[in-house]
Amino acid sequence: MDFHAALGLGLPIGIGIAAIGSGIGLGGIGNGAMQAIGRQPEATAKIQLNMIIIAALAEALTIYAFVTMFLLQARIG
Amino acid sequence: MGLEFLARVRRTTLWTGAVAALTVATYGAPLLALAFLLGAVWSLANLRLIELLVVALTGPERGGSRALRRCAVALGGMIALFAAGALLLSRLSPVWLMAGFSWPFGVIVLKAASSLVLETAFWKRLVASRWRAAAAVAVLVAGAWWAATAWSGAGTPGAGGAPHATHLLASAQSPAAPETQAGEAARHGEEEQGPQKFPNVIGLLARAFPDAPWARFLHQFEVVIYSMFIAILLCVVAFIASRRPQMIPGPLQNVVETLVEGLHDFVVGILGPRHGPRYVPFLGTLFIYILAMNLFGLIPFMDSPTSSLNVTVSLALVVFLFSQYIGFRELGFVGYFDHMMGSPRTFIGWILVPLMLPIHLMGELAKPISLSCRLFGNIFGEDMLLVAFATLGVTTLSFAHLPFGLPLQLPFMFLALLTSTLQALVFTVLSTIYFLLMLPHDEHAHEGEAQHAH
Repeated sequence: MDFHAALGLGLPIGIGIAAIGSGIGLGGIGNGAMQAIGRQPEATAKIQLNMIIIAALAEALTIYAFVTMFLLQARIG
Repeated sequence: MGLEFLARVRRTTLWTGAVAALTVATYGAPLLALAFLLGAVWSLANLRLIELLVVALTGPERGGSRALRRCAVALGGMIALFAAGALLLSRLSPVWLMAGFSWPFGVIVLKAASSLVLETAFWKRLVASRWRAAAAVAVLVAGAWWAATAWSGAGTPGAGGAPHATHLLASAQSPAAPETQAGEAARHGEEEQGPQKFPNVIGLLARAFPDAPWARFLHQFEVVIYSMFIAILLCVVAFIASRRPQMIPGPLQNVVETLVEGLHDFVVGILGPRHGPRYVPFLGTLFIYILAMNLFGLIPFMDSPTSSLNVTVSLALVVFLFSQYIGFRELGFVGYFDHMMGSPRTFIGWILVPLMLPIHLMGELAKPISLSCRLFGNIFGEDMLLVAFATLGVTTLSFAHLPFGLPLQLPFMFLALLTSTLQALVFTVLSTIYFLLMLPHDEHAHEGEAQHAH
């Protein structure tokens, strides 16, 4: 398998794996935040803020994969 | 009735003329569109001056000194206008200038005709029932579709089957695109590597004048120009909103006050009442600026500067340098390195210093990288998504040879609104937390440790 074919196969798979990982992470964050809001509805604003921050941190990993994909995409063909 | 009708004609002419000029600019030559637009504007100005003259001559206060002055203004304006018209005719394409010139008259005729139709009993009966009206609209749309298909099919007699919209998008988006534009594509291929975005004003200008040095300059500094423009826009809005503060605020002042107050509460809520207020201006400006830059890309023919890595890196660098400065100022030179070593107080703490110091230093360096890449990736990805779906929408309709496509990107524009706001918020929140970590944390010690852990 030459370099281009490997890149063409690997990039989508790589971004998919990254998306699976941060999807699991986001699910966990959402689960925790929703439970916390359910237990303490009066702390909703604070919980939501922290949830957004951590969700952004988890989401960033996929974004890194995405940026890498775009950087390497030009070399495929 | 008369003057109000003229005002309506002016409005309709302006927006239909703008749409027509944009269409001409995208499918034809931009210079022709410029000629068309200038012709329409010239004609509108002419109409306006005539209206002024007629009102001054026949209005209720004719013969007065004000009416005389108005007459003089109108006549002088007409002379200047005709001089400008002669200049335009010598410089630009006369055919398109004439087309633009007759555009307002076309609007007047159509408006008058439609007002005649609207009065008839047939029309009233037609729109009395909702279903009949909908059916009429559907028939009109189908007729327009058929006419446009026939027209564009006749307009391109077997030109390799390259239809307008697909052709345009392809040539605008992929540098290695179609054979018919091989020369242009090759020229674009040198300067624009990587995936293509929606065409924007500066890009179109650069395409219209490929050899002019100023167009190349604009194209090169496109991102800088857009971000400067947004900064100036925000300055102007802030200036207007705070020029005459009133006890009972007007709409603009109300909006700005709500925004500023919300940001103040938000930052102070995180940084605490002692340190918070000092950093509100910086962080609040950051939020508003990034938000404006993110949303700017959703305006047609504009581009969001944050979809370029250069802008986000510079924003993140500013935050990074500022947080280091805060660290040195608030903690002192010794305190800063103490903080970097993880504040060793016990024996075990001192043993761990060789481990903690590199971790903290790398953590500091990773902050600007993650900040900039996150913002860039999100906004760039959002733009790419919109482009991909717009292309898909055009491709779906390409069999009909129409100059437009299905607006498939519309649902994703709402998503883009959401991510734009969210990413501006995330950037601001993370900057605030980086500041918080640098401040002497007396009551925030545990939070600080928890944040270091990631």
